[in-house]
Amino acid sequence: MTSASTTTVTAICWSCRQPVSSEHFCAACGKIQPISGDTDYFAFFGLPQKLAIDPADLEKRFHALSWKLHPDNFVRASEAERELSLERSSQLNDAYRTLLDPTARVEYLLAREGMRREGQQKQQAPPELLEEVFELNESLDELRMARAAGGDPEERARLSKTLAAAARKFQDSLAGVDAELKKLFIAWDAAIDAGADADSRRALMERMNAALNRRSYIRNLVDGVHKELTENC
Amino acid sequence: MGKTVGIDLGTTYSLIAYQDPATGRPKCVEGPYGTPLCPSIVSVDPDGAILVGEPARRRLLTQSSRTIYSVKRLMGRGIADVQDELKLFPFELAPESANVLRVRLGDRVFTPPEISAFILRELRQWAEQFFGDSVDRAVITVPAYFNDAQRQATKDAGRLAGLEVLRLVNEPTAAALAYGLHEKRSGKVAVYDLGGGTFDISILKLVSTGEGDIYQVLSTNGDTHLGGDDLDNLLLALAREEIARDHNVNLDAHPEAVQELRKSLIRAKHDLSSEDRAAVIFDLPGGKGSWVREFARAEFESWIAPIVERTIGPVKMALADAKLAPSEIDEVVLVGGSTRVPLVRRRVKEFFGRRPHIELNPDEVVALGAAVQADILESGVRDMLLLDVTPLSLGIETMGGVVAKIIPRNSTIPASAQEMFTTGVENQTGIDIHVLQGERELAADCRSLARFTLRVPPGPAGLARIEVKFLIDASGILQVAAKDLRAGTQQSIEVQPSYGLGDAEIEHMLEESIEHAEQDFTERQLIESRIEAEITLSATQKSLARDQAGELAAEERRAIDDAVAALREAMAGRDYKLIRTRLETLNAATERLAELQMNRALSVALEGKRLGQV
Repeated sequence: MTSASTTTVTAICWSCRQPVSSEHFCAACGKIQPISGDTDYFAFFGLPQKLAIDPADLEKRFHALSWKLHPDNFVRASEAERELSLERSSQLNDAYRTLLDPTARVEYLLAREGMRREGQQKQQAPPELLEEVFELNESLDELRMARAAGGDPEERARLSKTLAAAARKFQDSLAGVDAELKKLFIAWDAAIDAGADADSRRALMERMNAALNRRSYIRNLVDGVHKELTENC
Repeated sequence: MGKTVGIDLGTTYSLIAYQDPATGRPKCVEGPYGTPLCPSIVSVDPDGAILVGEPARRRLLTQSSRTIYSVKRLMGRGIADVQDELKLFPFELAPESANVLRVRLGDRVFTPPEISAFILRELRQWAEQFFGDSVDRAVITVPAYFNDAQRQATKDAGRLAGLEVLRLVNEPTAAALAYGLHEKRSGKVAVYDLGGGTFDISILKLVSTGEGDIYQVLSTNGDTHLGGDDLDNLLLALAREEIARDHNVNLDAHPEAVQELRKSLIRAKHDLSSEDRAAVIFDLPGGKGSWVREFARAEFESWIAPIVERTIGPVKMALADAKLAPSEIDEVVLVGGSTRVPLVRRRVKEFFGRRPHIELNPDEVVALGAAVQADILESGVRDMLLLDVTPLSLGIETMGGVVAKIIPRNSTIPASAQEMFTTGVENQTGIDIHVLQGERELAADCRSLARFTLRVPPGPAGLARIEVKFLIDASGILQVAAKDLRAGTQQSIEVQPSYGLGDAEIEHMLEESIEHAEQDFTERQLIESRIEAEITLSATQKSLARDQAGELAAEERRAIDDAVAALREAMAGRDYKLIRTRLETLNAATERLAELQMNRALSVALEGKRLGQV
């Protein structure tokens, strides 16, 4: 396990009044501990705040913690411990769900660092895609109109085909954004390892934020087309 | 402290099982009828006695307005949800069915959880009789695709039956647990569960770890209104149509005859699982002769194919959510009585490209899995861990009636989400929250779970900061807690469920149920077994008086007479088990006689047809 815990909180165990240094249980009496206001999903798994995560390793950690934290373990425990188990195991599952998905993972990191800004960029087409977006919206309108007018099936089939082809193009740009994010992940992890200063970390986060906004824009576009196509069927 | 059990509260049958300490394996408890299957049927006698299971099933044919089956279809549902149900099932709703349905049975009115509680109490008695000890805690199974209201209703039923419900476990997951115990497996497993009224598909990943085996559900999907009932209703509609056409008889005014017909059709459906042809002979009401119909399996399959096909959509969605192709599934497990239908087996095999597992009895496997989980929770000895998911996304209503998803479907449970709320106008004193479950974008298309109001101290708009925590527990049931971050105080919230019983109402029902003290179990069984014997004896006398009785061989006739005498002797005594054993002997002895009559009726019917065609 990598040396991790940025959040080694020095709290007092609710049960034995000893200082608690580990993440989930009191080292002295073994009792499950309440969640502090500011638990970090990475630290929850004993991981540093790095973005390249091996899913197999994460799953192993998830399963190991599930054995310890799951409410099954606390059926016969006190009411208070049952509550704590419910709280902790739900957070475990929330953390796993978030970190397993690369997009949710980076969104979480940025939100935590106060760097996730969707702002107006979410509504705006990325400049390099402006022309394609314009064409796509035109085809979408045509299809909607054709459907509203009851349009002949052949014409609608042709429009559907054009639209599907356009959607595939955007699917490719989505893959492009994901590749870019992956590179940023590596750069981020290197910066963390090198102990980079706040400014260079901030710069990386700005770039990740921009990539995320582009991603969510294209994602919405592709989803919209798919919805339209299924309705047209 | 009493025993802990696992219960499968099914649409058609319910079962109770326990972990047998002698073998370390789960086992179903057999009831007074020598089978672990308790028909999920409840009947209220005119004197107020509640009958459950086999005796209630008989009442379906004689007192159908006092008897209810498939009540699971009504659990946790509102009046608007059940309109389709009301067309197909003889449920009679009382007028005061607003946010909890109320079913009329004779002169009494019950909610679906109360009716389910009668079934649970009956099973509990079976187990207590078997153990000679009290049973007070249980794991109860629910369809994986049950929503929060349906789960809460099931939990309420447990409480009303005097059981502490340790956990609700999803039926397909319970089945996987029973299978895993049966044969150690690892890899990706699809559990296809087509029961009496519900369909579930769950995709699981089985992983062996140092601590033991983990059963992690990756995704689940389903339809809480798709099952064997639908096949029965289809056959019933076809039969009624033919009867109206060929005999000019409308069965609308004969609810008991409809139940008799339904029973015969279900028997034919069962026969078609192993035979190529099955026949139904149904005596028309008012002595207007009989309707005789032979079904070919191919014909039956062409009718039910669209229903079977309805299961494939959810299967595809579950696979898509688990990000798996059908070929990546290592094992397919079939659960639920309806998976005995050959067409269902063929379709599943074709879809996954592999032969599904049917080693365990599909009726019992869910109850067995529930017993395994009950034992894990009870003993604290754990070599396996279930990680289940919530089947539906949880959301809250936002501006314009749009739903904001806060916990996505297929999240491992327990799962939680925190949301911050504030005021929009000055001196606003409350914020209304509407919680929903479902995948659609608009609140109107999702399932309303609850509404509540957050109280805020008066002040400028946007100043209040109320943090609300939504938590789905390990049974898939929602809990809500709110915290005023500015004041630092926990706020207790009265969550008004959209469909369901309030706490006070349950307390009241519990008190009432204690007042209606139960009849002694043995006494009840004795009365029931004598009635059953009387019915069979009178049917046998009638058959023996018919012409075909003359075709019996001398020893066949003697066997019947002996069985009749033995049964009469047992009926004079007080041993209900002996009465039932001898009743079975009589039934076996009269099998050949029944066959002769069936053949006779069939040949008459076929001749009639031929004559008509000439």
